Amino acid sequence: MSKTSVAAMLKDRNQFSFAGKWPCMRPVILKLLKQEAVTQGEWQDLFYSVHLVCLWDDKGPPKLRDTLKVDIMDFIQQAQQRVLAHQEEQALLKAYITEWRKFFTQCNYLPTPFRQLETSLAGKTTTQKRNQAEESIVRKLMLDSWNQSIFGDIKQRLQDSAMKLVRAERNGEAFDSQLVIGVRESYVNLCSNTMDKLQIYRDNFEASYIKATEEFYKIKAPEQLSLHGVETYMRYAEVKLREEELRAQKYLEPNSASVQLLTDCCVSVLVATFKSAILAECPRMIQHHETEKLRLMLKLMDRVPDGVSPMLKDLEDHIASAGLADMMAAVDVITQDSEKYVERLLDLFRRFSTLVKEAFDDDPRFLTARDKAYKLVVNDSTVFRLELPVRQGTGVTAPVIPTKPVNSNNGQPESKCPELLANYCDMLLRKTPLSKKLTSDEIESKLRDVLLVLKYVQNKDVFMRYHKAHLTRRLILDTSADSEKEENMVEWLREVGMPADYVNKLARMFQDVKISQDLNQQFKEQCRATIADSINIKILNAGAWARGSERVTVSLPLQLEDYIPEVEEFYKKKHSGRKLQWYHHMSNGTITFCNKMGRFDVDVTTFQMAVLFAWNQRPFEKISYENLRLATELPDTELRRTLWSLCAFPKLRRQLLLVEPSTYSPKEFAHDTRFWVNHEFAIVKNGKLQKRGKINLIGRLQLSTERSKEEDNQSIVQLRILRVQEAIIKILKMRKTINNAQLQTELVDILKNMFLPSKKMIKEQIEWLIEHKYIRRHEDDINTFVYMA
Amino acid sequence: MAESVQDNVERGDGDNVKTENFFTLKKWNAVAMWSWDVECDTCAICRVQVMDACLRCQAESKKDFYGKQDCVVVWGECNHSFHYCCMSLWVKQNNRCPLCQQEWSIQRMGK
Ligand SMILES: [Zn+2]
Ligand SMILES: [Zn+2]
Ligand SMILES: [Zn+2]
Repeated sequence: MSKTSVAAMLKDRNQFSFAGKWPCMRPVILKLLKQEAVTQGEWQDLFYSVHLVCLWDDKGPPKLRDTLKVDIMDFIQQAQQRVLAHQEEQALLKAYITEWRKFFTQCNYLPTPFRQLETSLAGKTTTQKRNQAEESIVRKLMLDSWNQSIFGDIKQRLQDSAMKLVRAERNGEAFDSQLVIGVRESYVNLCSNTMDKLQIYRDNFEASYIKATEEFYKIKAPEQLSLHGVETYMRYAEVKLREEELRAQKYLEPNSASVQLLTDCCVSVLVATFKSAILAECPRMIQHHETEKLRLMLKLMDRVPDGVSPMLKDLEDHIASAGLADMMAAVDVITQDSEKYVERLLDLFRRFSTLVKEAFDDDPRFLTARDKAYKLVVNDSTVFRLELPVRQGTGVTAPVIPTKPVNSNNGQPESKCPELLANYCDMLLRKTPLSKKLTSDEIESKLRDVLLVLKYVQNKDVFMRYHKAHLTRRLILDTSADSEKEENMVEWLREVGMPADYVNKLARMFQDVKISQDLNQQFKEQCRATIADSINIKILNAGAWARGSERVTVSLPLQLEDYIPEVEEFYKKKHSGRKLQWYHHMSNGTITFCNKMGRFDVDVTTFQMAVLFAWNQRPFEKISYENLRLATELPDTELRRTLWSLCAFPKLRRQLLLVEPSTYSPKEFAHDTRFWVNHEFAIVKNGKLQKRGKINLIGRLQLSTERSKEEDNQSIVQLRILRVQEAIIKILKMRKTINNAQLQTELVDILKNMFLPSKKMIKEQIEWLIEHKYIRRHEDDINTFVYMA
Repeated sequence: MAESVQDNVERGDGDNVKTENFFTLKKWNAVAMWSWDVECDTCAICRVQVMDACLRCQAESKKDFYGKQDCVVVWGECNHSFHYCCMSLWVKQNNRCPLCQQEWSIQRMGK
C-alpha cells in the first residue's frame, strides 16, 4: 500500500469516527424511540453509519453504546413522567401499559441497525461464538434501562394497582381485565435474563398475586365457615377453588408453574386449614348416607395431603360397627337360620356398596376400604363361634409328608360364616321347600350371591369341607334339585379362585356318579337275580369322596350280604389293580313296612335297615339292646344313635320302634333295654291316620362315623398344617434359599384362597420341617432357610 | 298291647310269609369306594397321592378333567407303584425303579 493512499484513508477515518457520525445518527435514533416515521434512506444510513464507526474508530463501539444508553434513559424518563402524571390507579395502569407496549415494540426494531456494534463489542471481549438466541446488546440495554428506571420506580404501584383490580373482581366488580394482563406481560418481557426469562415476573407479579389471594381468603374463609357451617362452607370452597383456577388462567403466565402454585395456595388456605373441621363431619355424613355432601368432601379432601385416608378410616369403622351391630341385633334369627344369615350379610353388602357408589363413585380406595371392613364383618366370631380344638387329632390319612407333627394348634375361634354359606348353598341346590319356591334364575342369582360373600371369607377351607359334605349327601341320596346347576356351581367355584385340586375333586364326584350309572346298567344286564332290580351300586373314587373316615362294620341282611361278592367279582373283571371298600354308613334304601294299620314306605339308612330287619325273624318280640348289638354287629355308639333315630324321630307322632324303660337320650340305653316294633305305627297327617304313605328317616345321612365326626374339626387343623408344610416345601423347592419375611409373604399368597395361616402355625411348621431335615437354616443367617433335597 | 302282639306270632313259620308282610326291601343304594391296591399312597416321583391325577395331568386338565381317567397306576416287578405318566417319563432317563433301584419292568397296569 502506498504512503499517499494510507494518508487519505487516515483522513477519511477521522470522518468515519464516532464523533463524526453521531450527529447524523442521533435524530434517527430518537425518532425510532418515539415511534415516529423514519424514511427508507434514514434507516439504511443508520446501518451504514454504525458499520463505519465500528470499522474505523477503535474507541467507537463503546462510545456508541454509552451515548445510546443516555438517549434511551432520557426517553424512558420522559415516558415515566407521562405515566406518573396519572394519580388514579386505572389511569396509571393504562398509561403505563401504553408506554410499555410502544417501547417494547421498539425493542424489536432499534437493535437491528446495531448488529455490527454487537459483533465489535463482543469480538474484543471474547472469541467464543455467542449464542444466536441470546439477546442483542442493544435490546438488553433497552430492557435493562426500562427495568432500572421506570419499572424500578413504580413497580410497587403497578403491582398494587393490579392486585386491587383483582380484588375488586373477587368482590364482584367488573373492570378491563386487559389492564392486569398488560402489567403481567410487561413483567414477563422485561426480563433480560436468558437463563430464566420469567424471573422478574415470578419474583414480583406472581408472588404478589399469590400473596394477595392468600390474604383475601385468609379473612373470607373463616368468616364463611363460622357463618354458615361446614356443609355450606364446603360448597363455598369448591366454587372458589374453581373460580380462582379460572382467574389464574387469565391473569397468570400460561405455560409456567404459576397456575399450579396459585391453586396450591388456594387449596391450602381454603381446604387444608379447615381439614379437621371438615373431616369431623365425615362419620355423621356416612352414617346418614349423605352422599352429595360426601362427594363434595371427597373432592376437597382429595386435594390435600392425607385428606382421604381419615375418610377411608371413617368408612371402614362405619361398615364394621354398623355391620356387626346389625348382625347382633338379629342374632337369634340368624344363628338358627342360614338363609336369613346369608340374606342379612348380602343386604349389608348391598347397602355399603350403594353408599360407596353414590358417595364416592366406586373410587378404588373406598372399594378397598369397604372390602376390608366387610371382611371383618363376615369373619367376625362374636356372632358365631366355631371352636377349633386346640389338641391335634389323627384325622387325615396319607399326608404328603408321612410323619405328622404333633406340636401345632390353631385354637382361635372362627366365624361360622363359611359353614352357614355352605348350608345355604345346600338349601338352594337340594330339593327343599326353598329351592322349589324359586325359579331357576332366582336360584342362580342367589348362588352368585353366595360366591360373592365367599370371596370375603377368610377360612375358605371350612366352606369347602361343608360344601363337599352337602354335595356328597345330595349325590348319594339323589336329592339334587337341578344337576345342571350343580355342575355350573363347580365351575363358578373355580372362577372365584377356589383351589384347583379341590374343584377337580368336586368335578370328579359328578363324573363318578355318571360312571356308576353305566356300571349299574351293565351289571343288571348280566346278573339274573331278581334282587338286582332293586339294588343300585355307587362305586366311587376314594381320593375324591372319602375324607379318611373309618368304615363301620355292620351285619347286613342276608340277601344283601350274598349280593356283595357278585358285585365285587363283576368289578374285578372290568378293572384291575383296584380294591373295593364298602361304606355302609353312607348307603341307604327304602323298605316297605306292613302292619295292621297299613303299608308304608320308609327311607332308611343301611344301619336302620339292619336294626329293623332283626325283627323279620320275630316280628312281635321285644329284643334287648344286647341282642340287637349281636344281631347287627354295630359298634356301640352307632347302634345307640341308630336306635334313637327309630324310637325318637323328631317329626313323627308315632314312632317305628317302642322302648322300655323309656329314656331321654341314647346314652341311657342299657344292655337290657328292650325294643319292639310299633304295630300301631301309622303316618299321621293333619291329625288323621294314613293307611299308605312314605316317610324318610334318614335325616342327615352319615358321611362319617361318630368318632371321626368328633375329629372333624381337628382334621381341619391337621389339613391346614399339611397345607402349610406343602406350601413351604413348594416355595423352597423353587427358591432354594429364602428369608423369613419373603417366605411368609409367598406362603400367605399361596394359601389365601383356603385360609390365613397364623404366624404361630407357620413358625411351628418351619421348626418341624427343619427338625425333619426338609429344610435348614442358613449358616450365616438364622432367618434364611435353605432347601434340602 | 304286648299280649295281643304275642297272639299273632304263630301265623307264620316260613321266612317268605313273614317278610312279605313285615319289613321288605324295596330299594338299596350301596356305596363303595375304590382305590388303587398299592402299598404306598403317594407316588414317589411327583409326590402326589396316586388316587389323584399326577402333577402334570392336574396342571393340564383344568376343565377337561371330566371324562378323563387316564392317569392310572403302574406296578413294577418289584411291586412298587407310581403314576403311569410319571413312570413313563422316568424310564426315559433311568430304567430303574426310583425306590429300590431294581431294573424297571412292568408287572401290571391299573385299569
Ligand atoms: Zn406321580
Ligand atoms: Zn398323569
Ligand atoms: Zn421298586
